[in-house]
Amino acid sequence: MKEIRNFCIIAHIDHGKSTLADRLLEYTGTITERDLVVNQVLDDMELEQERGITIKLHAIKMYYNAKDGNKYSLNLIDTPGHVDFSYEVSRSLAACEGAILVVDATQGIEAQTISNLYLAIESGLEIIPVLNKIDLPSAATMIDRVTSEIVNLIGCSPDDIIKASAKTGIGINEILEAVVKYIPPPKGDTNKPLRALVFDSVFDSYRGSVAYVRVVDGKLTEKSKIKFFHKGTVAIVDEVGNLFMKRQRTGELLAGDVGYVIAGLKDVHDTKVGDTITLNEDGATTPLPGYKEVKPMVFSGLYPSNSDNFAELRDSLEKLSLNDSSLVYETETSTALGFGFRCGFLGLLHMEIIQERLEREYNQNLITTVPNVELHVYKTNSEKLIIDNPADMPVAGMIEKIEEPYIKAQIITPTEYIGNIMTLCNERRGIWKNTHYFDPTRADVTYEFPLSEIIFDFYDKLKSLTRGYASLDYEFIDYRESDLVKLDILLNGEQVDALSTIVHRDKSFEVGKKLCSKLKDLIHRQMFDIAIQSAIGSKVISRTSISAMRKNVIAKCYGGDISRKRKLLDKQKEGKKRMKQVGRVELPQEAFLAVLSIGD
Amino acid sequence: MSSIYLHIPYCDTKCCYCDFYSIENHDSKNIFIKSLIKEISTSAKIYSDKEVVETIFFGGGTPSLLEPNELELILNSLYNNFTISDSSEVTLEANPGTVNLEKLKAYRSLGINRLSFGVQSFNNDELIFLSRIHTGDEARDAIKLARKAGFDNLNIDLMFSLPNQTIEKLKFTLNEAFSFSTEHISAYSLIVEPNTPLFKLVQNKIVSPLPVDDDAKLYNFILDQMSLNGFEQYEVSNFCKPGYHSRHNSNYWNHTNYLGFGPSAHSFWKNNFENAKRWSNHRNITKYCDDLENNISPISMEEFLTKKDLSTEFLFLGLRSSGIDLNKMNNIYDKNISIEQKEKIQNYIQKNYIELNNNFIHLTKKGYMVCDSIIEQLL
Repeated sequence: MKEIRNFCIIAHIDHGKSTLADRLLEYTGTITERDLVVNQVLDDMELEQERGITIKLHAIKMYYNAKDGNKYSLNLIDTPGHVDFSYEVSRSLAACEGAILVVDATQGIEAQTISNLYLAIESGLEIIPVLNKIDLPSAATMIDRVTSEIVNLIGCSPDDIIKASAKTGIGINEILEAVVKYIPPPKGDTNKPLRALVFDSVFDSYRGSVAYVRVVDGKLTEKSKIKFFHKGTVAIVDEVGNLFMKRQRTGELLAGDVGYVIAGLKDVHDTKVGDTITLNEDGATTPLPGYKEVKPMVFSGLYPSNSDNFAELRDSLEKLSLNDSSLVYETETSTALGFGFRCGFLGLLHMEIIQERLEREYNQNLITTVPNVELHVYKTNSEKLIIDNPADMPVAGMIEKIEEPYIKAQIITPTEYIGNIMTLCNERRGIWKNTHYFDPTRADVTYEFPLSEIIFDFYDKLKSLTRGYASLDYEFIDYRESDLVKLDILLNGEQVDALSTIVHRDKSFEVGKKLCSKLKDLIHRQMFDIAIQSAIGSKVISRTSISAMRKNVIAKCYGGDISRKRKLLDKQKEGKKRMKQVGRVELPQEAFLAVLSIGD
Repeated sequence: MSSIYLHIPYCDTKCCYCDFYSIENHDSKNIFIKSLIKEISTSAKIYSDKEVVETIFFGGGTPSLLEPNELELILNSLYNNFTISDSSEVTLEANPGTVNLEKLKAYRSLGINRLSFGVQSFNNDELIFLSRIHTGDEARDAIKLARKAGFDNLNIDLMFSLPNQTIEKLKFTLNEAFSFSTEHISAYSLIVEPNTPLFKLVQNKIVSPLPVDDDAKLYNFILDQMSLNGFEQYEVSNFCKPGYHSRHNSNYWNHTNYLGFGPSAHSFWKNNFENAKRWSNHRNITKYCDDLENNISPISMEEFLTKKDLSTEFLFLGLRSSGIDLNKMNNIYDKNISIEQKEKIQNYIQKNYIELNNNFIHLTKKGYMVCDSIIEQLL
């Protein structure tokens, strides 16, 4: 165990986490330079590469011959970097004893890094600070400033900070030496009953669910009968091993080690992140701390653009959920959209990821409805309803009261932006709790919000108001009564259920007006006039209209080039596939999310 | 029955909106004519014995930059290699800034029997914006000279939806055009095409395209004026006095076979409904001439059309032009109009977008205005 080091990398997007990970793999001989042709090995989903966000966790083992003459096993555990996945981050950190903090020497420390860094420090991780990209000319003028930022933040000495360039290889050997020297070996007792932390799991179409674990105590061996503490699943271990570029079977994993377990479990819901594996007989009596049942916070409807593709969408969701235990879905029907699914997500980013994966990997053409939170509606007959779809809202006369989820939000920001942040928070029905100053330049502002106010675009707004320096973390607190109303949209007099939203009464007039004008921008002119109205109950609160198109013909001279005209028509038809016919009106996909962009 | 198109890629100055293949350097003209003649004779070995040629069209570029003796070389090659019908329509596109009486007379005597003048506008400020090389007066003179030279079948090309164009300005151009009693008028809207100087001007916000509703008003005005002045509409942009439709262009729209010679020229040949293709030549004079010099095919694109492609084309080409014979569609293209399509057509007839006569449907004036929407719905 003395020769094991478990660690992760904490970095802001684009500060070089993936490049550094690749370089570590290369310097330890885990991969060759040739393997790096497809850059950045850890982010293997196309989506992740584009977004620069590591969505799914991975782990990899490397052997390193240190200067002290010993051979070490280094387990690098990857972490996602977005507030939607903060629970997953916390479980990854719990599997480590140390973290490499990577800061871009040309940019300085940034918001996202800070909340993850604090999580790491709270988990008692040893931090190895690294100043990356020092080869860039623009680094020269910034190094002193960024160095003092790091020193202030983690209280190290400037000499402790390793200057590196993951791109050129400067400092990589020093980083490897520091990992061995400063990160403590795992504690734990091989003789105690087995306790292994599941920090991730993936679905393998041949083997079923593969759990990535950190063994804390005892040993995990093949053929033993194991139990998942929280889920309660009991299974026989088929295979255990280490995670190199590929899985490598070892037959057992000992306390302190990181690896994988395959136990004939058919999907990732059996191997939930944060669960503890122990032996079914003579197992540990208490699980490892920190497990949380992850509940979806944001809901929206997913519909096939073409109603004929419902079964295909269901299959795709089924396949996706094999790999993503936090995705929840059930069928629903909409008058406007036909058959589809109400899906629950961890947050807005998670929703976008699922949506994009369905479109790219599963080739689905989707209509997504406006995301919303789960409401508790108390009817006058004292019945309680749980509403996760605005269309299910009872009529106003039957409602006694409505409760919505509230969260506590922690915003860490440079003090100069506090004014901006408070303005934003007040607009979003925020309740100020307190402001704590770390030092004269940086503060921690705590607010309570209705969750619905921050799921849309709060994070983006916060970022742009603070030039990217503020970070946000939040947790659910409770349900509270709010004066909410259902805002409906009518097209040519027909209510379109998929366009209904729930808003606070004080904002309903403004939202209704903006929504109408946004829809006017989004809906293409058609061969007839379209009246757009917003209404609460039977009361119309705003209206606008789209006049019929007067001309739609390309009066061009094509000569003999008929192919060109045909290709243009094909393109037009392709665009039409992304339209949804509601009554006589064709709506573009964006129309169903119009309410999200009315603030722009 | 078939058609032949010849692309003459030379221009004195390239117009800012034009995305047809043309070049301002004329040094290659002699080699080009040699290559063109070679392409004609090579192609004739495959196609000449199959069908009689009914129409010939010299397009460009600016075909009227050809000297009569050069044109004669090309025509001789066509007549020597293909069977040309006695009643053939032989059109040449002419820029009003490149002709004189002598030249026009020579063209006429060589057998050109239809001239198509690229007039575009009679407003000099619009002509300057379009970077045309002629004035309104030069266009007027050219048309008069053509009549004098004995041309009794003339077309004028006009452009509308120019930036800031008003009904008044368009009215002036149209009335001037009507005053010459030409047999044919084409009216194309200014389309901002990528890879043109105009595209850059629009991108850099130096020029702003006409708003869509104004574009609609102008087009509607044209349709009204044409019918008031005795012109029939037989395609989105084409109008003629009775009996004077362009037989060549109509052939593009009714699946008649045609061969295109010269750089960027397009061809279509269908042996039967199971075997049809479209192809086009390189858009590069050097490549075109070199390939022919080296006995290599100058074709850059070739696509085989399925029966489904053909029936799709039949539908949209027909609707854009003079209409569709539903019986022919059923019998020849094996494409029965579905119940859904029938309902839509019925709806369009009711709303006066489409007219139905003996199982033949064609767009009304109102229908031409939204032609692309109707086609999209019916495809």
